[in-house]
Amino acid sequence: MIEDEIYRSSSQFRLWSYTESSLRDLRANTNAVASDRVRAALQRARQARQPVNPNGSNAETAIDEKEIECLNPEEELELVRYYCEKTLELGETYKPPLPTNVRATAIQYLRRFYLTNSPMTYHPKSIMACALFLATKTDNYYMSLRQFADGIPGDNTTAEDVIAPEYLIMQGLRFTFDVRHPFRGLEGGIMELQAMAQGLGQPAPHLPQQTPEDLRRALHLIPPNPSASSSSSSSSSLTDRIAHAHHNTRELLKTAAQMTDAYFLYTPSQIWLSALFIADRPLAEFYLFTKIGSPASLPPSTSSSSSSTNPLDALRTKLIHTITSCSALLQAYTSLSTGPEQMKSLKAIAKKLYHCQNPEKVNLAGQKRDSANPSPAASTPAAIAAAGGEGASESEMERIAKKRKLELERKGREANDIFGGELVTERTKERSLQ
Amino acid sequence: MAVSPPSTMLSTIQSRDIPFQGSANARSPLTMTHADRELTEQLNDDVRRKYVKDKKLGEGTYAVVSLGYLKTDPSVFVAIKKIKVNAEYKDGLTMDAIREVKYLQELSHPNIIALHDVFSSKDQTLNLVLEYLPRGDLEMLIKDGNIQYGAADVKAWMGMLARGVWFCHENFVLHRDIKPNNLLIASDGEVKLADFGLARSFADPYLNMTHQVITRWYRPPELLYGARQYSGAVDVWSMGMVFAELLIRVPFVAGNSDLDQISKICEAFGTPTDDNWPGVSKLPNYFPPDRAHIIPLQGRDFFVRQFPTAGPVGADLLMSMCALDPRKRSTARQILSHSWWSTEPKPTKKEDLPKKAGGTKKMGDDMGRRVGQVDDGLFKNAARQLHF
Repeated sequence: MIEDEIYRSSSQFRLWSYTESSLRDLRANTNAVASDRVRAALQRARQARQPVNPNGSNAETAIDEKEIECLNPEEELELVRYYCEKTLELGETYKPPLPTNVRATAIQYLRRFYLTNSPMTYHPKSIMACALFLATKTDNYYMSLRQFADGIPGDNTTAEDVIAPEYLIMQGLRFTFDVRHPFRGLEGGIMELQAMAQGLGQPAPHLPQQTPEDLRRALHLIPPNPSASSSSSSSSSLTDRIAHAHHNTRELLKTAAQMTDAYFLYTPSQIWLSALFIADRPLAEFYLFTKIGSPASLPPSTSSSSSSTNPLDALRTKLIHTITSCSALLQAYTSLSTGPEQMKSLKAIAKKLYHCQNPEKVNLAGQKRDSANPSPAASTPAAIAAAGGEGASESEMERIAKKRKLELERKGREANDIFGGELVTERTKERSLQ
Repeated sequence: MAVSPPSTMLSTIQSRDIPFQGSANARSPLTMTHADRELTEQLNDDVRRKYVKDKKLGEGTYAVVSLGYLKTDPSVFVAIKKIKVNAEYKDGLTMDAIREVKYLQELSHPNIIALHDVFSSKDQTLNLVLEYLPRGDLEMLIKDGNIQYGAADVKAWMGMLARGVWFCHENFVLHRDIKPNNLLIASDGEVKLADFGLARSFADPYLNMTHQVITRWYRPPELLYGARQYSGAVDVWSMGMVFAELLIRVPFVAGNSDLDQISKICEAFGTPTDDNWPGVSKLPNYFPPDRAHIIPLQGRDFFVRQFPTAGPVGADLLMSMCALDPRKRSTARQILSHSWWSTEPKPTKKEDLPKKAGGTKKMGDDMGRRVGQVDDGLFKNAARQLHF
């Protein structure tokens, strides 16, 4: 059994790996289904409102008269990405900060969840805290729900708010909790490089002729890192250079690898190698070629024969191609909260979402598992639908319809609050979103 | 006993053609404009509709286990384990359920219980669709005086256990609760490692784990001494204890407290000291032994004498699994390459392995029993093993 086989049996490969086009199709489909449902729900809301509340607030009337404009898949994705960044920040606010693995798992949960769910149906701000809490449980970082909720900045997030969408999230994750991260692979690669630098390297399985001394000498001869500033690269030792590359790669894995589609499109080892390529290309190439041979290092007998007969050649070409495209993906990432342009666009999306949020799904408390003590919200149509929706009797449906009407009236009055109260109160950023 | 008929769960679901099948990888043609369910809910419904729930097999504190079968092929049985909502635990889904789902989703191997599917039913409870393993567990066989078995049978069972554990470790998963009643037996005699409620991935170096794992009689000395950093060696010790128990048909070191467990281990295998286990005295719960009662480490002779059924080569393997110092204990991989497996006698073919007396008949009786009746025999036990 080889590592590839193990990875192919993982849920990350079986359920959460895509091609660029299948990913695009899935998102388009999710968006289309959610848009239809939002329009239908808003239509129902409008009808429910009219006989009871003909003098609705101005805002409502305005929405009623316009055609409902839904988010498109790109806008949904941008919004989700923003909340992924927020998840990273939320994890940072705990003392001590939540481990990188836990935060990364939570971010991947969010990204997976929003492949088949739309932010129009479930607003990411009500999902992200729960995704992070779920990740503390699945990644063995134990803390109580109370402790977790208390750590959320601002004082209006209760433990119940946090846990409400847990089941919904698990369902969206198709009950797979394992996320394979690139972090451990990076640590292993860096340890190998450090060992090689000290003359303690081990020969790779395909290249048994390598000696620790060869590896050490070759590593010391690699060209300087073009992406480092000239002053630092010339003066620093090889150990420093590896440490530097380690740090920069890790940063990329914590940010760019999380916020892009990298996990959906590439394997963990492809991802960390791609990040190392960005951080220090000569070092990354050296590492890779110690495993599969460099184009130049092939023995003369091999290079004289047709190069296509060497399976390592084909493998190398394929791998470099994959790593190059993954590197490009990672490199293209810029944080959404940094640029004013991006914040402007986010603000516009948030505004748009305000008008196309599915009103029947707003109350997540209704998704709670506690069926023994139904809160008023537990009998909302959303809860019934989420809970299976089958077998609701006619009178029950009637009661729900009435309830829905009242709910919507209440919502109308609180219209300004629907989008209010961000989870993470980071004043400048949050305010500009509202 | 009142048991809701299967119809409450399955028959009221409206039938609708959902073209979206299987993996989310597939390009979905699901663009129906009047879809009355969220996409995720539709996916869940698809899974749920694959199975028909039949009678209840058993019930415990954490779950209800029912027999189920495939709708498209009623001859294919499954065990559906419905996780109960734990009223005391307010923090969402409990850790044992999370662990079991997390690891079984990743581990697919003939000697590990298969998790076919997971779905939610209408009251937002989790349903695990597990492989149906009707022939009880190794504990039942060990305890049943009417069953005779020998070295070849033990070799077959141990081989299956060792392959299952090796696969867990190869996937960086520690089981942390290996014991005879977590080793279930399939209808073809295959032994399957079950109950992953305490499992976890290997921790990163220097990160602590809890030492409060593994049922006491199968718990290795490093955990009894409070080690927070440990490896697959903990499972290997448990395997050694199962091996010994299969051979002598009683638990080999059965302490009645953690302290008693340590002293029984010392009596059986020798007293851990910094000489035979460098660093042991630095473990948190280590206490220096009474100088007058230091028992020297047992040698090969002891194992050969104590476990004659295994033969000298088998005794050697057992000894390697019972090394006090976890660093000297065999790894699962080393166990699999041991010469005992290729020494005579050959392991019994799985279909020829001893069964619990009347097992098949009992299963038949059980199958014929009316819905809702809970039997105290085979099924109850099988269900109990699915971790409540």
